[in-house]
Amino acid sequence: MTLMSRRAALLGAAALGCAGLTRPAFAAGSVTAAIYPGAWEEAFREHVAPVLKRQHQIDLEMQGLFAVDQVAKFAASRGAPPFDCFVLDPGPRITAIDRGQFERIDINKLANKAQIPAGMADEWGVATGAQVVGIAYNPKKLPRPTGWDDLLKDPWVSKLGLTGFGTTFGTVSLIELAKVFGGSETNVEPVFTEVKKVLGKVAAVGTPAAMPGLFQQGQCDIMYTNTQTVTTLKDRGVDIEFVAPKTGAVSFITTLHIAKGSTNIDNAYKYIDAAISAPVQKALSEAPYFFVPVNRGVALGAGLPMRSLDEMSRFVTHDWAKINPLRAGWIDRFNREMAK
Amino acid sequence: MGPALPLGLAYLAFFVAPLLMLVAVSFYADDKLTVLGFDNWRKFLFDSFHWKVVTDTLLLGLKAVCATVLLGLPLALVWRGASPFWQRVLLFVAVMPLLTSVVVRTFAWIVILGREGVVNQLVLGLGLAAEPLRLLQTELGLVISLTQIEMPLLLLPLLSVMARFDPNLLDASASLGASPWRTLFKVVLPLVAPGLAAGALLVFASATTAFISQSVIGGGRLVYLPSLVWQQAMINANWPFAAVVAIVLLVSVSAVIAVIALAGRIAGGRVHGAAA
Amino acid sequence: MPAPAATFRGHTLDVDALTVRYGGFTALDAVSLSVAAGEIVALLGPSGCGKTTLLRTVAGFITQASGRVSIDGAGIDDLPANRRRVGIVFQNYALFPHMSVADNVAYGLHARGEKGPKAAARVAELLEMVQLGALAQRRPAQLSGGQQQRVALARALAIEPSILLLDEPFAALDRSLRLDMQMEIKRLQRQLGLTAILVTHDQDEAMSVADRIAVMRRGHIDQLGTPVEVYDHPATPFVAGFIGTTNRLPCTTTADGVALQAGATLALAHTLPPGSRAMLTVRPEQLALASEAAPDAWPVELGLAVPLGGQTVREVRCTDGTALRLTEPRRGAIRELGATAHCRLAPGANPTLFPHTEE
Repeated sequence: MTLMSRRAALLGAAALGCAGLTRPAFAAGSVTAAIYPGAWEEAFREHVAPVLKRQHQIDLEMQGLFAVDQVAKFAASRGAPPFDCFVLDPGPRITAIDRGQFERIDINKLANKAQIPAGMADEWGVATGAQVVGIAYNPKKLPRPTGWDDLLKDPWVSKLGLTGFGTTFGTVSLIELAKVFGGSETNVEPVFTEVKKVLGKVAAVGTPAAMPGLFQQGQCDIMYTNTQTVTTLKDRGVDIEFVAPKTGAVSFITTLHIAKGSTNIDNAYKYIDAAISAPVQKALSEAPYFFVPVNRGVALGAGLPMRSLDEMSRFVTHDWAKINPLRAGWIDRFNREMAK
Repeated sequence: MGPALPLGLAYLAFFVAPLLMLVAVSFYADDKLTVLGFDNWRKFLFDSFHWKVVTDTLLLGLKAVCATVLLGLPLALVWRGASPFWQRVLLFVAVMPLLTSVVVRTFAWIVILGREGVVNQLVLGLGLAAEPLRLLQTELGLVISLTQIEMPLLLLPLLSVMARFDPNLLDASASLGASPWRTLFKVVLPLVAPGLAAGALLVFASATTAFISQSVIGGGRLVYLPSLVWQQAMINANWPFAAVVAIVLLVSVSAVIAVIALAGRIAGGRVHGAAA
Repeated sequence: MPAPAATFRGHTLDVDALTVRYGGFTALDAVSLSVAAGEIVALLGPSGCGKTTLLRTVAGFITQASGRVSIDGAGIDDLPANRRRVGIVFQNYALFPHMSVADNVAYGLHARGEKGPKAAARVAELLEMVQLGALAQRRPAQLSGGQQQRVALARALAIEPSILLLDEPFAALDRSLRLDMQMEIKRLQRQLGLTAILVTHDQDEAMSVADRIAVMRRGHIDQLGTPVEVYDHPATPFVAGFIGTTNRLPCTTTADGVALQAGATLALAHTLPPGSRAMLTVRPEQLALASEAAPDAWPVELGLAVPLGGQTVREVRCTDGTALRLTEPRRGAIRELGATAHCRLAPGANPTLFPHTEE
């Protein structure tokens, strides 16, 4: 062993020793949760982990994994789940249910049960955040749009920023657009027909991650997006307003689930309970995260198109069991139709 | 002998093994990896759209190579003739893009190329155009930004060859009556060709696989192989098809790189005159 | 060696008050030099004396601050290097490594538009002239140092230069090869009637090749003269010290000679005021050893003796500590190390007396 590596090893051992010392003797163990890398991981590290630690002496260990990776990693583990909890959007959630990757959840075990609005929990999981999707536009440059079809009309179309079926919010927005032209949850054909007519005028066809930047730089002045993005941009001083289209704003939830075969189920419940508790939900609904809360006890931010969470049950929702099998084809179709 | 064996094993474990797994995954017919078959290969190979994406990706790489060479070669020539102080300044400016994250660089280009960006403010301000130019979400804009982002990869090998270039050769050429252009094409270019080829190779490999720049600056209407891999792997969860696209990307980019490297080796071989 | 088809009419080169500065450093300070047609002049001096700067300014690689360079009386200062028709052989030869020997030689011909069989014949002729006809298709890296130099020479001559500049051309060669190449270049230069400038820091090289030598120091020409002149009559103590081996004897002038610090009085015609401090420079062959004491001989202690060709070079030490070198015939009496003897001027010796300087 070289001097350097021996020193590194000693330092490592010392660090482990210190960690062991700071860990209280009565620790009730830990829970391992998969979490989306980036903002979600930061938010949970900052607000969920301390609560778990303080109230239950549970250490929260997080694995940064995208939805696809969570499903695939679980599948590869064959019976010994690599983490205790999932966090998933509606599409991957259906895939995971189909593949039998979740334990059933008993809502009654959650202390915050009474605070969960209708439709935000079921036998498979509990929402930890919601997204409300609609149209965002720059009020200084464009008149207020009223419906999805305004996106494809003058004067909005020449300032429109489009994204495809790559994200949940993009997919549901395009479905809603299709519905205006006679399409449905399973038929987005009108989108391709109608968008193709005006494609030459469209200001930008961007990747979802680039859209806030493009809007901020004035490359596009209208787009479909979620309230979270609108509030974040507004917070940075960008001229942007959220509009719920006349056919209704769209909502979907991001849910937490317990992995099938988890040996840590009690702690997993505590983790979920902490994530949906009012103080955590309040913190996540504020800067810089601006999540839409899922706890009735949290006051709603000014930018949201509803006064209470229960109103959300009137928002448009979608059946991802139907969408999932079609989505890969839509993505492929979008590539081909939009390609220059 | 000592470190060769562990290094070889590490190479096997961290490089060859994942590559073999990638190849293996590509021969599954379903996204749950249960049925073997050539379905995903057939799906890719017998579809002209996919071939267009391959062509567009390789062309993007070649355009980035041409642009970096056209700008980088004069810069390298200026660098060669500069004083040590200015050589350090030029080197720092050239390498600076490497010191910032690719995300920062890419978003900076949105600010520069956008409708209300620096370039358009200049163009509109000077009255060169009535409407803002469309630069973002075009291949032109993408090539412009890749040129800046990939420039260090061209310059570093090129400058190392330039630094070893015997300045007497330039004087010799001039004293024999050659114009500066003749000197450039008959003496300088053949002699720096190996460095130029090495740089071009890095730029090509980097530009064809620049997922972030391609998707953020190029936008949704320009489809290249890396974004296809991302879509298939991360959104559609169709790993076998993603593996097919990844292998096509690897093979096609490697093929072009082999050609560039061969050209550089031929030029280099001529210089060192191993064969009579 | 076949006679070359092209003949080189001799051209004259005139350098007039040439000054070159690098930033605040004056590399050449109003240097003037005239080279006659068919003449070869060596620029000799230590590194940093300005000899290479002078050569590169003539070639057009450096622009002077002031002064003029003319060939055959016509100024070439406004011409870029590629239109001066000045041939150069570089110290490292600077052959194009990616081209064959023939292509190297043909480079200048192609550059001025000469192509086809005529140019090829000219290349073949030049390669014959430097005895490299058989190696025409080789690459420079496959040649020996001497062969590379011949290629460099043939390449420079291909453009029929009015002036040939040789920048330390022999420095990279083996000692044994060096003399051969010096002879060959001198023969070619004579045969072709070339006007040439040779830059060197090697006095033997300058002596054996040049018609005249310009000894340079600190951006000036200290002395310009034939090899014999600069050897026998050095104009400055620097020239005396730089050319050949020189003994320096501190002395004081008298009315009709000098009194050596080492303890002897020599009769010597001079123009310095009596009683002034001076330095007598004497070549080793101008000193001799004697057994007996005399007024014009001074005592020395014998040091090492090294046989060198037909002579022996011996070191002796004077009583004032001055070390001297002198030559004596091989067959002279063998004297022992440490023995005492007397040193005197050899018959017919003409030492040079310089006023004392602090250098």
